[in-house]
Amino acid sequence: MKILYGWVREFVDLRLTAQQAADRLVNAGIEVASVTALAPDCKGVVVGEIEAIERELGASHGHRLVLCRVRTGRERYAVVCGAPNTKVGVRAAFAPPGAVLPGGRRIAAAKIHGVESQGMLCSERELGIGEEHDAGILLLDGARPGADLVAALGLDDHVLDVEITPNRPDCLSIVGIARELSALTGARFRPPAVALKESGEPARALARVAIEAPDLCHRFTARVISGVTIGPSPAWLQARLRAVGLRPISNVVDATNYVLWELGQPLHAYDHATVADGTIVVRRAREAERFTTLDGQERQLDASMLVIADPRRAIGLAGVMGGANTEVTEKTTRVLLESAWFAPASIRRTSRALGLRTDAAYRFERGADIETLVTASARAAALIAELAGGTIARGLVDAYPRKRAPRPIRLRMSRVKRILGVAPPVAQARKILAGLGLTVKARGAELAVTIPSFRRDLSMEDDLVEEIIRVWGYDRIPSTLPGGTIALVTHPAALGQAQSVRRALVGVGLAEVVTHTFSDPARTSLFRRPSDRPPVELLNPLAQDASWLRSNPLEGVLAAVATNVRRQQPDVRIFELCKTYARAATTAGGAQPRLTGASGSKGEADVSEPARTSLRPPSNQAGLKDLVTIEQRWLAIALTGARGEPGWSGGRDRVDVYDAKGLAEHALEALGLRAGSGSGGALGGFEPDCHGTLTGEGGVILGEFGEVAAALREQLGIPAPVFAAVVSLDAAGAGPAAPIRYQALPRFPVVERDLAFVLGGDRPPTAAQVESAIREAAGSLLRRVVLFDVFRFPDGRSSLAWRLLFQAEDRTLTDDEVNAIQERIVRRVTETFPITLRSG
Amino acid sequence: MGHPRVDAIVREARDAVAAAQSSAELERIRVGVLGRQGELTQLLRSLGTLAPEERPLVGAAANEAKRELETLLDAKLATTLEGERQAERRRTRLDLTLPGRRPPQGSLHPLTRVHDEIVAVFAGLGFSVAEGPEIESDYYNFEALNIPRDHPARDMQDTLYVGESTLLRTHTSPVQIRTMLAQKPPVRIIVPGKVYRRDVADATHSPMFHQVEGLAVDRAITMADLKGTLELFAREMFGPRSKIRFRPSFFPFTEPSAEVDVLCFMCGGAGCRLCKQGGWLEILGSGMVHPQVLRNVGYDPEEVTGWAFGMGIERIAMLKYGIDDLRLFFENDLRFLRQFA
Repeated sequence: MKILYGWVREFVDLRLTAQQAADRLVNAGIEVASVTALAPDCKGVVVGEIEAIERELGASHGHRLVLCRVRTGRERYAVVCGAPNTKVGVRAAFAPPGAVLPGGRRIAAAKIHGVESQGMLCSERELGIGEEHDAGILLLDGARPGADLVAALGLDDHVLDVEITPNRPDCLSIVGIARELSALTGARFRPPAVALKESGEPARALARVAIEAPDLCHRFTARVISGVTIGPSPAWLQARLRAVGLRPISNVVDATNYVLWELGQPLHAYDHATVADGTIVVRRAREAERFTTLDGQERQLDASMLVIADPRRAIGLAGVMGGANTEVTEKTTRVLLESAWFAPASIRRTSRALGLRTDAAYRFERGADIETLVTASARAAALIAELAGGTIARGLVDAYPRKRAPRPIRLRMSRVKRILGVAPPVAQARKILAGLGLTVKARGAELAVTIPSFRRDLSMEDDLVEEIIRVWGYDRIPSTLPGGTIALVTHPAALGQAQSVRRALVGVGLAEVVTHTFSDPARTSLFRRPSDRPPVELLNPLAQDASWLRSNPLEGVLAAVATNVRRQQPDVRIFELCKTYARAATTAGGAQPRLTGASGSKGEADVSEPARTSLRPPSNQAGLKDLVTIEQRWLAIALTGARGEPGWSGGRDRVDVYDAKGLAEHALEALGLRAGSGSGGALGGFEPDCHGTLTGEGGVILGEFGEVAAALREQLGIPAPVFAAVVSLDAAGAGPAAPIRYQALPRFPVVERDLAFVLGGDRPPTAAQVESAIREAAGSLLRRVVLFDVFRFPDGRSSLAWRLLFQAEDRTLTDDEVNAIQERIVRRVTETFPITLRSG
Repeated sequence: MGHPRVDAIVREARDAVAAAQSSAELERIRVGVLGRQGELTQLLRSLGTLAPEERPLVGAAANEAKRELETLLDAKLATTLEGERQAERRRTRLDLTLPGRRPPQGSLHPLTRVHDEIVAVFAGLGFSVAEGPEIESDYYNFEALNIPRDHPARDMQDTLYVGESTLLRTHTSPVQIRTMLAQKPPVRIIVPGKVYRRDVADATHSPMFHQVEGLAVDRAITMADLKGTLELFAREMFGPRSKIRFRPSFFPFTEPSAEVDVLCFMCGGAGCRLCKQGGWLEILGSGMVHPQVLRNVGYDPEEVTGWAFGMGIERIAMLKYGIDDLRLFFENDLRFLRQFA
């Protein structure tokens, strides 16, 4: 909200510069975004009067050019002007030769249409004080010719752009800021005094008010001003409104806006002639009632909204915007002035539902002052009578069914100390609160405080504690450390797990990424399988391509790969610790093996592990349905391009699927888990024939790996193959980690044997199958099995060579013993599978 | 001396050794004299053909000659071999300025680094980490925190909804509620995590970002303790000379509330580009837990008091590392990430 410092000073005796005042406000919790000098960036511009229009000079660019004689004090100038509003006798902004306009534009005498023009009559835009240009030169009725423009417009001032937190609606006004500055500095506060001259008929003979919805409208007042003449406001008032960002409209409307800014009370002026019977009814809108607001928009209302009506129809959207049907126009001669108080939540709902945010709604939804509205009404009526003529009818029509009863608050100085760790002397506390406009009585070490109507935010003891320290100074709070007993510091298992995985993968050269949770539904079709749980969709997304939440752990890492590849970095080896999100609805086709999520693995009472969240709060108002969702934790790895940093000594090898698998195994090992492997998997996004699983005890799927589906990566714009792996951190964390147990070092020598088998035929066994057959046949003397060579024959068969290491704990093995085991292995393997021992 | 034949062999061999240029040549000489077919060996083998009185004389002379030649050869071989080794090394000398063979360098995301630092500082002060879901109910995210429906305070956090009363949490504060509902005081937790706002991404905004929440509730906790704790945090995070200041502010779930600034560590408060000439950098929001919030979780505000604070991890990371655009964190350009290796 923009406020004018000079305007503030009308209500408080301050000897501070605008910047100093701003600093005081900031220290008391009122943000000041900027302090700007109001004076336009021009020099030498004065008030000039058009004494005569000497002659017409023809048209230029569609404008009628005239030669004017302009008077500034004693000087006379011949000035060519094309503005439509030149008229003999008007006073306007005039830049004589030598004056400088914004942007350093220096005015000099110049020939226009063959005539010398000595200076220039200026529009708002040319002066840099507004946008107006087409309407013509800036008129300055009543200003003294020759006077400096800046002074004439009262622009020798500063604008403070203050940001008021939602709890302080009282500061949404010039007077509110003045009161605050008075409390902060001790300077005297002078509330506005209104000299109201009432005459003629009593107002209640001209206007009646009935509140039919007293829950939404606590007070409604009306005044009537008769015999007004609608016209523009004087220049000083227009300049003030412009300075704070308001657009001048007409004297009556400007008067209500002026008072809105000054006192914070939204007001509305109706053309009395258009209000049937002069009768106001404050009622709920009818369902589907149609109403055209001042801005010309027809809107459909509902029964939750409050309208101002006359006996026949709605004439205003209460607290939000007036109606086109009762708008003040040039023909208006009698004005009905509304000053009322509406329930904040209702105004906010209506304003949001209709997408209609107005200055009035902004204040009502934060809470207007139910007492000040009387002052505001009087002030506006007086201003209207002053600006537009007319007489103010006697009395105020005041419907105030339930009078506000101020509730006293007890403030214990011991509470101040308890909350802040420090407290001012009670006399000082009392002075501070009184300075803020509160009524304070001291009772020993307690204060009895009565809260005025403009401080609706103060409702309990601790609110007063804040007021005291806010004014006394936050810098008076000392620094101490909390005492008390310190419980054992415990972190959730998930945190330790994440740290182990990060350490392991960063240690082998991967870069960690953090990506957005949002996903593009157009793309997720490539990531999703029909059996997946339903996705979580945003109801009010910022963009369509970010309107779902991630449902596949690979989405983020693949996007990061795409970004890097697009930016000429073809070698990418990254990982992310991320979540996927799903709605907890069961779907068909649940027979497929799926990664076990956290569901059921951790107690739901553990707040630190709420992986499956049933969001059922203790009290859910309005019976709104909570969505039950599942959040699963993952490690996702993606690799493309070279395996290492390409350099003089290698690193040019390309990554392949075994890198992805190995890194996932490495991560699992960091979590104390050894994984077996199988083919296939439940996650979408992989090439079907290059997709495997990592399994833990009991066949639980801990992770998946494979080559990213070509269609998917092509859609992401990645030309080279991408290999990926995921590990379910929920599944990996479900079981107890195996404790580390030392085993005695072997004392007898190892016997080494190499065995190679040729695998071929239609359905050759997998390496894992052969290896497990070897282990089974070998028995306990086999210490290690290492697949050390894989060779593919041109005919499609392949040769797999294993190195077997035998060792006994209690003796040196003999050749004969090992030979016997070896024969057993070969027999078992060749009998179980259609494969042969490779000879030679 | 010894024997004319032995002398002749020795003389010849000495000359040969002296003239020899390589270890191979020396080896040939050794074989020619001392080898199985060598002259001296054959001489010794033929002792039987000599006159009996000659045998000991020739034998002694030959054995002595053998020892002498062996010593001679060994000595010469040692120097020759050394010379040859050095020549070989000269020939195959390595260019040690070639880059070393380094294992690939991984990197932690800058947000993880800052997260870990913050967690470590507060763990040292007795704070345990607590976590909570990102998809939250309106109740935990707003109502329990004293932000009722249709209250303008909701404007402070534009919200992304996934259901009528289900949303992406706009701050980590709902975990305060979950934790306090689950346990009795005292409470000392910090809550790191992702949070969401309906903000269009630009240099200082993001629809997703990270926060760390802190909460301490006990029988005698004051705002002074909050200040002391955050001062300590600032010193750990931004250097031992860091200073902080409290400014009044408003959060619906704290009363009194304070915005916390740290003295600009670039200029020491004199004013620079980083602090926009203000001398101070805003780093977090904080305050004393609102009595209504304590009542909402079944705590008695007359029995216990507490404070809470919340800070953006991105904000801290941007200040700490001099990053000027928040979007960089989520673009994951490797040239950016590797700077945090």
